[in-house]
Amino acid sequence: MRSLIRFLLKFKTLFFFLLLEVLSLAMIVNYNQFQRVHFLSSSNIVVGTLYNFSNSVSNYLSLSSVNQSLVEENAELKYQNEKLNIQLDRLRYDTTYVRRNEFAEDKHFIFRTARVVHSFTNLRNNFLTIDKGESDGIQKGMGVINEKGVVGIVYDVSGHFSVVMPILHSEAKINAKISGKSNVGTILWTGHDVRYAKLKEVPQYIPVELGDTVKSSANSAVFPEGLMIGTITEIERLNNDFYSIDVKLSVDFSSIKYVDVIEFRHKNELDELERKEVSK
Amino acid sequence: MNAWLKYGLMFIGLLLLQVLILNNIMFLGFINPYLYIYFILILPSSVNKDLTLLLGFALGLMVDIFCDSIGCHAFATTLLAYLKPHFQKIFGPREDYEAIIPSFRSFGSKEFLQYTTILVVIHQLAYFFVEAFTFTGFFQTLLKAVCCSILTILFIYIIEKLSYKR
Repeated sequence: MRSLIRFLLKFKTLFFFLLLEVLSLAMIVNYNQFQRVHFLSSSNIVVGTLYNFSNSVSNYLSLSSVNQSLVEENAELKYQNEKLNIQLDRLRYDTTYVRRNEFAEDKHFIFRTARVVHSFTNLRNNFLTIDKGESDGIQKGMGVINEKGVVGIVYDVSGHFSVVMPILHSEAKINAKISGKSNVGTILWTGHDVRYAKLKEVPQYIPVELGDTVKSSANSAVFPEGLMIGTITEIERLNNDFYSIDVKLSVDFSSIKYVDVIEFRHKNELDELERKEVSK
Repeated sequence: MNAWLKYGLMFIGLLLLQVLILNNIMFLGFINPYLYIYFILILPSSVNKDLTLLLGFALGLMVDIFCDSIGCHAFATTLLAYLKPHFQKIFGPREDYEAIIPSFRSFGSKEFLQYTTILVVIHQLAYFFVEAFTFTGFFQTLLKAVCCSILTILFIYIIEKLSYKR
């Protein structure tokens, strides 16, 4: 008996070792049963809290990439929304919509999201610089919008950057119409206040009211029809049968961060056709 | 500092470092350093063998709980803890054996690196084969074990180098 105890004592470490290994193996083999024991899995409160904490840290660190993907998704949704809007417009007042609808389908607008890397708002002729250029498919003359409405038109393009001429530029003349009316006017910036612009060339026989919204017209191949530009805040009748209308711009140019550049896929085709007509 | 407190903090620190940070590295999709076993590797020789075993088992089980791989780390780390005193005897210095903390300084760089390499490789092989629980896909499992061993040894080497300088 004594020699047995001495034997056990002599190898007690080995036995302890074997015991622990058998225990581990038993756990592995009965894995599914042990999963039910909450304190032995990552669902227990301590582990859960720690993982939650580390997750919130890593979430915070990945915010910018999440943001980027959301912005891109936004552009995609905007594109789809625009497509549906065009279809809806046709459906509303056109009984021969089937054929026109095909045209709307065909008239693809492509949206590309870009980040504003630099912007001026304090000059007479202001510019925005965005971080996409020729290599991203941006070309001169494309329309630029953000989630609030029309921003401007692409003015110059380099490999990876573009300069946008916003509404806040004396040369930026953007075709606009008052929502619900078919007549087209032009949006001009007077150079005083970044929040306001003037809508010119609207004849006085059209009834105009304060608070009416001003939207992009279908007259240009730059913007899809019906994008928000601003709301009317003041109306003045001039001597020459036209109004001078003050418009509060819907885009806040002082805090612009992301924009969408719109490509009208068949612009060249349209331009060529129109040029041919003019030269006839 | 009180040795118990020091090793206690090191135990918790290495555990948290392992489960919260190192387990997320996933270099090339499957390579993680398993640095937590550094705790067992540098236990002083004065710690008795049963306690070493118990610490190894506990540490492995803790990592298992976080990884939802109940038993795998515990198995491998217990094996490591069992072998550690034997390899310490082989690679460690012969004289005043009683209170040696394994490190570059006490073992010599070459011996410590050999000691680390052998134990880490054994641990990783045990872990990956027990985790796979099969010998099918033998070479895949072997590759995983070898890659993770290399990264683990590299991490230990860097830590040792840094503390050696001081």
